Amino acid sequence: MFGDYEAQRHWLEITTHLPFREWYTYDLQYWGLDYPPLTAYVSWVCGLIAHSLNPAWVALDASRGIETPGSKLFMRLSVVVLDLLVYVPALVLFVKTWLGTRSHRTQEHALLVLLLQPGLLLVDHGHFQYNSVMLGFTLVALSLFTRGRDLGAAIAFVMSLGFKQMALYYAPAVGSYLLAKCLWLGWARGARLFIRLGATTVLAFTLLFAPFFLPPFAPSFAHVLHPITRIFPFGRGLFEDKVANFWCASNVVVKWTRLTIAAAGGDEEKARGWLVKLSTLLTAVGFTPSVIGLLRAGWVTMPSGSNSQKQEEQRDGEEEKTLPGFIALLPYALLTSSMSFFLFSFQVHEKTILVPLLPLTLLMAAAQPGSSLHCWGALGNNIAIFSMWPLLKRDGQGIACLATLLLWNMVVGYNPLKRTGEKKVVVKENVTKTSSLWSLPFVQLVSLAVYPAAIALVLLEMVVTPPRRYPDIIPVLNVLISTPVFVLIWLWSIKCGIEVGWALGGWSSGSHHKLPEKLPVEGSNSKGHEDGHGPSLD
Amino acid sequence: MSKKEATVADSPPSDPQTTTTNSSQWSTWNVTSSDWNILLVSTVIKLLLYPSYRSTDFEVHRNWLAITHSLPISKWYYDTTSEWTLDYPPFFAYFEWLLSIPAYLVDPKIVDLNNINYDSWSVIAYQRTTVIITELVLATALLRFVSGSADPSIQRVISAALFLHPGFLIVDHIHFQYNGFMFGILLWSILMARNGNRLASGILFAILLNFKHIYMYLAPAYFVYLLRAYCLTPSGRVEIKNFLSLANAVIGVFVASLGPFALMGQIPQLLSRLFPFTRGLNHAYWAPNFWALVTALDRIILRLVQLTGTTRISVDSAGVSSSSRGLVGDTVFAILPQVKPIHTFIITLLWQAIVLIKLWKNPSYKSFLTALTLSGWASFLFGWHVHEKAVLLILVPLSLLAAERHAYFRTFLIASTAGIFALFPLLFTPSESVIKVVYSTVWIAFVYGALNRRVYEYPTSPLYVVIDALEKLYLAGFPCLLAFTTGISLRNERISASSSESSGSAMEFLPLMVTSIYCAIGMLWSFLRLGFIYFLEESDYQGQLSAVG
Repeated sequence: MFGDYEAQRHWLEITTHLPFREWYTYDLQYWGLDYPPLTAYVSWVCGLIAHSLNPAWVALDASRGIETPGSKLFMRLSVVVLDLLVYVPALVLFVKTWLGTRSHRTQEHALLVLLLQPGLLLVDHGHFQYNSVMLGFTLVALSLFTRGRDLGAAIAFVMSLGFKQMALYYAPAVGSYLLAKCLWLGWARGARLFIRLGATTVLAFTLLFAPFFLPPFAPSFAHVLHPITRIFPFGRGLFEDKVANFWCASNVVVKWTRLTIAAAGGDEEKARGWLVKLSTLLTAVGFTPSVIGLLRAGWVTMPSGSNSQKQEEQRDGEEEKTLPGFIALLPYALLTSSMSFFLFSFQVHEKTILVPLLPLTLLMAAAQPGSSLHCWGALGNNIAIFSMWPLLKRDGQGIACLATLLLWNMVVGYNPLKRTGEKKVVVKENVTKTSSLWSLPFVQLVSLAVYPAAIALVLLEMVVTPPRRYPDIIPVLNVLISTPVFVLIWLWSIKCGIEVGWALGGWSSGSHHKLPEKLPVEGSNSKGHEDGHGPSLD
Repeated sequence: MSKKEATVADSPPSDPQTTTTNSSQWSTWNVTSSDWNILLVSTVIKLLLYPSYRSTDFEVHRNWLAITHSLPISKWYYDTTSEWTLDYPPFFAYFEWLLSIPAYLVDPKIVDLNNINYDSWSVIAYQRTTVIITELVLATALLRFVSGSADPSIQRVISAALFLHPGFLIVDHIHFQYNGFMFGILLWSILMARNGNRLASGILFAILLNFKHIYMYLAPAYFVYLLRAYCLTPSGRVEIKNFLSLANAVIGVFVASLGPFALMGQIPQLLSRLFPFTRGLNHAYWAPNFWALVTALDRIILRLVQLTGTTRISVDSAGVSSSSRGLVGDTVFAILPQVKPIHTFIITLLWQAIVLIKLWKNPSYKSFLTALTLSGWASFLFGWHVHEKAVLLILVPLSLLAAERHAYFRTFLIASTAGIFALFPLLFTPSESVIKVVYSTVWIAFVYGALNRRVYEYPTSPLYVVIDALEKLYLAGFPCLLAFTTGISLRNERISASSSESSGSAMEFLPLMVTSIYCAIGMLWSFLRLGFIYFLEESDYQGQLSAVG
């Protein structure tokens, strides 16, 4: 009957009262721990604090299902405090790093846009989860990459992975960025960085998992399999509930599970194996453009001649602080990669849309209202809430959705029909409405189609009870409205990645800047794509 | 990207300059985009508070919707289906009747008289929404205060502070009442007085009295002000035309309100509902007033007598049991002489008389505003069975004086901090406790940051330096008080979780008593402080409002 809240609270209870070896094995039927060790350690600290305040909140077994006002407040405050400790500083660091050369006003505004992102607020503080910690560590990693501190960034990313396995959605982008950087640095220095990165990452993971295989705590080395099998459960279905991804949406037409079971001759295990392989393959295909884009950029922009000569003269240990121009590709690669996981991978939850939302919102945070970057960001965030609507409504967060959406859209200055730059021209020429509708950029046409559909569905749900033959008709329609938007964002991110990469390739002198003062996305301005003016961070 | 575009991108949508063209259509109201932002942010906060704790006042108001919707007007003040009978004046009943019409359309069960303690999502959303929407009366009054004020930039801060006042958030949007709406009417009335339209001011106040009779606390100041400034010439001759129009208008308001019930012969019944003189000196939780201090003094002497075992002082046994009962029941003193309603009535009137004599001599707008505040303050401090929510009657008019001089600001700061802190026990659930503390702290910090440096003046004598230090010490005590009450409530929850027996009522009562006493000291001191300022106003404390006639 309980959900994420009780799961998280239960983990406080088991980590506080049990030795390490039992964390991933204790009574798994009752919300057994299935997040990586950092979540467990954080739960442990929270549990110790809770125990000192009121032992009843986390008493082993006896506290199951406890929802006293005090215990609820403690749990909710723990999310707020972790937000303040990890996510908010990470956002500040990001804004200072990526928008450091922009005006204070822009920086503050971007920070507000990111802080008030409705999806994260509703899921973390409404539904109850600790996503902001995982996202915060990834943000730290991104900022440290941008500051050229690759080893620190690698540790931060391991922390992110170690808090919640969902950070894996970013891994292809992060991994290929680092690989591209090793390429870019040239043979000797690249190899050195590669070895250092490898050693750091392995060490960080080892430390993180140490209590689960080192003798004093764990009975044997093989014990480490317990957390690992808990973290990656392939024993479940292709998708649970209704989630706005490729599998659930295409399931309307193609009954994947039934089809594969029939093809496997009734062997469900075998059929599931096929589906796992198929989904993994599709995911890989989905994120490949970002990987190739980064590696190609690393190869193409490799400095040569006098440039590298100069770098060779730099002292040892300095190399990791130099910054390649293709860092500008990283947010797009993160978006492509995570959206591809969301759309195509096995066992995705609707809340996981938060993972691709982070790079999307980062990209739009300082974009000019009306630019296509801004429009995609706002559309993605709004439709993400819509895609989680069945869940949020079940939580009783209807009004909260409305309130946070209202606030955020006002803060970002979103108007789906606003057109910058061309506005004056339209007024002057007095173009009729029908023709101006078709001259709208593609993203705004999509918005014009999607928003009315989404609003209509929400209103419809209030007044109509679904027919008995199709009890799930409303959630299915929701999936069918949301999925195309996410697919389009995925395609758009690939397109932007190609444009940025292409622009980078043109810079044969591409060397390191200290900071990406102007992210190369503006290179796309020159090419006439659907809206005539490119996505831009400036 | 061109320079021009960059500057546009640099200014977030809230930039007032970019929207000046927009605001031209609102020129009569002078609504800037920052005003819209305040409205938006506060509305979002209020929407997010929909599912929060609701007091029984929520059910009280729901029941009134049901009474006015399903019963004929002749039975409104007789119905006892629910224990929460209608005990507000007729205008409020009419108001509830108006609200009950859409309520019926939203969910007919809301207005079902026998559907007691109905708390479905529909009724919560509906009633909370009506509070937000009717509060626009307050918002419009505050906006009007800005245009035509002596210093619009300061008045804008004060208006924003009042609209976002933690008192309204705690009492209206969490606890549940319609104070924002009614204080909106009060502010419209004060605004009319400022703009020289005293007839409208009087009419609006008469209307307000027929919404909620607690505003009688302020009535003496209105009476003296309107009589002196509107019905008499400065030389003291009667302005017969003004007098008659005001008298007729006020009588007209009361006829519209009470007329139907007078025709039905229900006035005695109505009055018995409005003024139930069966309650005790203190409310369940002592409001932070003079009687809280007296009661505390009685308890302390009793404890001393019990400890020393002296027999020279006679102890009233009823008082002993009253003190041990703590929260519930009438207050009966064990040592000190008993207080009767008539005593509190006389003391209140005496204090008010002192203030009103001054108002009679100087019936200017600022003097009226100060007298109004002091009149409400005297009623709050010395009245019979005062409720802590009545502190808003002081804090709202006082806020209008906040930026007058540093002396006023300091008074405002102490009274607001003490008054708002004294509202905290209204919300005792843990989550709402965090909200009330965080919101109030942020509010005080913003108001302090926006106003303090504009009005700051150095203390001019050694005595003032000492007072200044003591006041700072008093204000610094509030975080300690908060830590103390939080610690006790945490301890109580632990005990109640570990043992089945109820923890001693003393430990539950102690934080409330300490809060009440500490806040009462601040309320009493700032009352005397404002009174002192008032009497030296013309010589020492002239400010921008002094210029208003």
